[in-house]
Parts: sequence; structure tokens; C-alpha cells
Amino acid sequence: MRSYLRIIAAFAAAAAFLLAGSSPASAQSAQPVPPAQSSAAQNRIPTPGQFPPYRAPRTADGKPDFNGIWQAFVTANIDIQDHDAQAGPHPDVFGAYGAWPGGQGIVEGGEIPYKPEALAKKQANAEKRMVVNITSDPHRHDTGDPELKCYSAGVPRANYMPYPFQIIQGPDTILFAYEYARGVRTIYMNPNDPNVPKEAPADSWMGWSHGHFEGDTLVIDSTGFLPYSWFDRAGDYHSEALHVVERYTQVSPYHIMYEATIDDPNVFTRPWKISFPLYRRMEKNIQLVDFNCTEFVLDLLYGQYSKRPAK
Amino acid sequence: MTDCSPLPPRAIHIIAIASVLFTPAWLFAQSSRPSTKNSKTTNANKAAASSKTWTMPRNPYGQPDLHGYWTSESFTPLERPAKYQGREFLTEKEAEEVQKAGLERGYDHTYDDPVEEPVYDSTTFGLTPALEGYAPNKRTSLIVDPPDGKLPPRTPEAMKRPRAIGDRDYIEADGHGGGVVHADTPRDLGVRTTCISMSGGPPIMPGAYNNGLYIQQSENYIVLQAEYGSELRIIPLDGRPHVSANIRQWRGDGRGHWEGDTLVVETTNFRPEAAFRNGNAKTMKITERFKRVAADQIEYSFTIDDPGTWTKPWTAIVPLHAIKGPLFEYACSESNMDVVNIMAGERATEKAARAKAKGSSK
Repeated sequence: MRSYLRIIAAFAAAAAFLLAGSSPASAQSAQPVPPAQSSAAQNRIPTPGQFPPYRAPRTADGKPDFNGIWQAFVTANIDIQDHDAQAGPHPDVFGAYGAWPGGQGIVEGGEIPYKPEALAKKQANAEKRMVVNITSDPHRHDTGDPELKCYSAGVPRANYMPYPFQIIQGPDTILFAYEYARGVRTIYMNPNDPNVPKEAPADSWMGWSHGHFEGDTLVIDSTGFLPYSWFDRAGDYHSEALHVVERYTQVSPYHIMYEATIDDPNVFTRPWKISFPLYRRMEKNIQLVDFNCTEFVLDLLYGQYSKRPAK
Repeated sequence: MTDCSPLPPRAIHIIAIASVLFTPAWLFAQSSRPSTKNSKTTNANKAAASSKTWTMPRNPYGQPDLHGYWTSESFTPLERPAKYQGREFLTEKEAEEVQKAGLERGYDHTYDDPVEEPVYDSTTFGLTPALEGYAPNKRTSLIVDPPDGKLPPRTPEAMKRPRAIGDRDYIEADGHGGGVVHADTPRDLGVRTTCISMSGGPPIMPGAYNNGLYIQQSENYIVLQAEYGSELRIIPLDGRPHVSANIRQWRGDGRGHWEGDTLVVETTNFRPEAAFRNGNAKTMKITERFKRVAADQIEYSFTIDDPGTWTKPWTAIVPLHAIKGPLFEYACSESNMDVVNIMAGERATEKAARAKAKGSSK
């Protein structure tokens, strides 16, 4: 009830701001919008990419409140760059069930600044995205999209997979729980906690994340990644030097603008950015349900070791 | 032995020691004469002393603050051993001996160099909470109701129910470190070895290692993250109904509410493979209670109400002790070498047997 009231209050604040004639801003680029466009904005359909000024609801301890179930609606999990629709694997069996839609990319400027040799590796990844050979050593990660194997999505991919995730925010930590493959990240928000190491104690799929607030924006700095996760089915990848800085900014009661800066000097010539909105899931009693896909990949992963009928 | 204890879903060469790891500490404890000292009184005195200096920590919403890192590590068995019949508590001395024996049992199985020989020995995987020094569990059994510390009788239906495939089912042990392995397909290995479902509860039970628990708390949610498997339970506190009976989950569907300062969580909607102790997923309801009773302890109890399996509900208490944390990512399937090693080992064994048969027939 209290949070409901806060949302109402936030609405009222935003409306008052608009009525006062202030310029709405594009939250993505923070570029001011000409007043001519904004004067009647409250009675017109919104312009994509532009949000009126908004102040996020607050937790009881005064922090921007990100609690909720969120989901991206981009096709970046297929390819974070612009891409056409394509037939999926085995269209003779899967037909339109398995086809992949086209979509506009999420990469700022369109291109990922790969080093030449790294671009070749990306292309090889794409060609071998369905080549799965699970050995009892790290070579099991040499080929095959981790998503196909129900492996952990990594960061930032977990945020734009076509499944919801939930943010559960406490005073010292913020938990991200992803429906896909039971993914989970803890964001450490208290820099003075003596028990939380600054550096990752060991590399992990979802990284080691410290966060802080800059105004209404939640900023998360993550390192300590294993080199095995991909950014998409198109083979875009990183090394263990991956450093991701994410910025989550609430731009309406129902939207977070997400931006991430991706740096990995082993793979890219410079840092690059992605951005897209996250949408609050509003179904009554919405909750994450199991998508424990490990049970669906057992034969894919281990079929080569199964007993064959005697010849 | 409890079927909820997480057997290490690990390399086959530790299977032989697993049966030792999971033997109740009682069998290893030096036999000791029960002291006449009343441990109940001692506990009560301690609680009274600490309550003077401790007030319930609360989150910014005024709810009792449960968030943080806890361990369910304990060497008390689920059911009361015969030698403690009629006694709810151990003496201080007995409790310390049981604790010591439990920990030393772990040390007994420490390999010379865990880095060179990466097995899940207790020095690396089980002892952190002990090193941080939590008080030994003084109970003679985790079960407190029925008062005899024993599971109630199973129903006739439950006795006929085939056992859900778990970790140990793929080995028919011969009692001498060998036995028959069933590993024709990965499904034969069970849900734990294949990393589909570990021991993320409910209920929360002590196991051989990775007993850590992280509790995250917001105004309207409690999240319980088990260290073992990094398995999450996200529990709404907003009074919503359970999901439809058509949705059945590995961790069930939990709903929580506060009764005074006690968090009460009711969980239903289990998947059949995940019903606790081979219960009936359709009739099982687990009610858990979390009450913070000290700066470093939550009293945790659970009641299993499954009329399809037990003739009456039963209740157990598992103390949760504060640990420093944080917990680390447990990416199970991503690094699951066991399934490959066990299955490839079986195929190699079969191949060798065929070659031998061929050779001897010539």
C-alpha cells in the first residue's frame, strides 16, 4: 500500500513538472526536447526513447526503489547488433516455432569495436554455436552457445534474454534473480562492509558486483568474470578481462532505462555501450516461475556418453 | 541418514567415503556417560543473559531483520538415536564431543593437497562455519514433534510409493566400496548429480557441506538462497494466493507472512521429484518459522504436513547460526564433470567386459 502511494505521489510530481512547462528529456541521451514537442505531451502518444522527467519511488531508507519484476523486449539475445529474421535450426522440424525474428540492435553506433583477430573468433563462435561437446575439462566451453546448454547467461546478457527477472532490494545488497537457468547476482551496496571483498574472490559466470546510487541511477560495476559467457547467439563474446558498468535509471513507474559500458582490452579496441528499456511486468500476482532448463538439455550435453543398443 | 542430505554430486571416487560422511556423528562419538547436569537450564540461563543486551534488529520497514548469512550446519540427526531415548537434550559435554567428532570426521577425509586432488573434503567445503565458532546443537534429534524424536509412521500409500530417483539410487552399493552403477542415460544419475535440483529446500536441512544460507529481505519479499547450488526461493509476503495447482516447482511455491516477530512461510505446489523425503507432492505442505532469537542465531523450525505420506504432521528445529559471508556462485551444471566421468567410466567398463568376454570365448 505504501509503495502504491509512493507511485501515485511520483505520478503527481511528474504531472506537476509537466504542467509547469518544464522540458521533458530523453532519458537515454538526456538531450532536451524542444518545447514545441512537449507542450501537449501529456495528451499525445509518447515518443519512443523519450520520457518526461521522473523521480523514482523511494525505499523506507530513502534510496531509489528498484523492487519489481522486469523484462527487456528486444531481440538482442539473438544478436545484439541489427539483424534480419532467419530460420532457426532444423526448420524442417521446428518451422516457425524455431525461427528467429529480426530486430534492431542495442549497440550504440551499431558496431562492436572488435580487434581483427577477435572478430574472427566471434564469427567462428557463430558458426559453431550448436556444436556441443561436453568434456570433463574446460574445453567443454570451446564451442556452442552457453544458452543452448542452459549455462549461466552472464552479464549483460541475462538482462535482455526473453525472460523476466526480479530485483529484490535490501539496504546493503540488491539481489537480481533471473528466471532463465535460475540465474542470480548479488550487488554489494555497502562499500564499508569488511566481509565483502573489493575484488572477486574467484571468477564466476555472473561476475562480482559492487553498486552505488548516483541520484536516481543505480550504477553497478562488475568484474571477475569467467571467459565463457557470450553476449548473444551470434557469437559475440568477451574474455576474463570483461568489465561491465551498468546504469539503471527509472524513467517512469513502468520503465527502467538500462545502459551498460562494456570494456575488455583483450577483445575490443575501445569500450562500447548498449542501451534499451526494461519494462515492469504488471500482471496481477506476477511471479517468476521455474525455467530450470538443465533438465531439458541432459541428452544434448551427455547423450554422447549414453549407452547405445548393442550392434 | 536422511535423503535430504546433499550427497556430493561429485567424482565417483568419493562415493566410497560418502557413506562415511553421512553416517550420524553419534556412531563416531566417543561413548560418554550422560551427565546429570541439566542442559535445558543452562540454555535458559544463557538466553536470559543474552536477552538483556540484545534487541531485535529491524529493517527500515520495522520488520525483524533476518537478512544476512547463516549456516544450518549441525551434527544432530533428524531422528533420535536409541541411546538418547527419552532425552531431548545432550549435556554440554556430550554436545561438544558430538561436535568435535563431527568436525574431526571431516578432517579424517582431508586429502594431502586439495588443490592437486580436488575433492569435496570438509576442510575446504564444510568447516568454515565451524572455524567461525558456532555453538553446538544440544538437541538429541532435529525432530521435536512427535516428542519421541522419531518420524511418525508412514501411510500405506507412502509405503507402496516408488522411491523418487535421487543421488544414491544409481549405485547399488555392495557395502565394500563397490557395487553396481546404473548410468545408461544421464537421467539414471538423478536430479542432484545432473545439477537439476540440489537441496535448496524447503525445508532447510543440515548436510555434509555448503550449508550456507543467504537471506535477502525487502518490504514485500523474503529470498532464501542456498549456498549449495545457489538455489533461490523467492517468497512474497503480500498475502497473494498460491499459484494454480497446475504449476509445480522444484522448490515449491512459498507464501510468507509475519506473525509478530516470526516469519511464517507456507509452501505447496511441489514437483513430484522434489517432494521432501519421497513425500506426496500433491498433499505436502511445509510450514517454516524463522525467529531471530539472538544477534547470531535464528531459531528455524519446519512442520511437514503430508497426510498422503505420514499419519500425522511432524516438526523439526534447525538452528541457523550467523556466518560472515558472502556466499559464492555455485554454477553446477556448467562445471559438472561427474556426469561425464561416471558415464564415460561405465561405457569403458562395459567395453572392457565385452573385450574380455570375446577373448575368453576364443
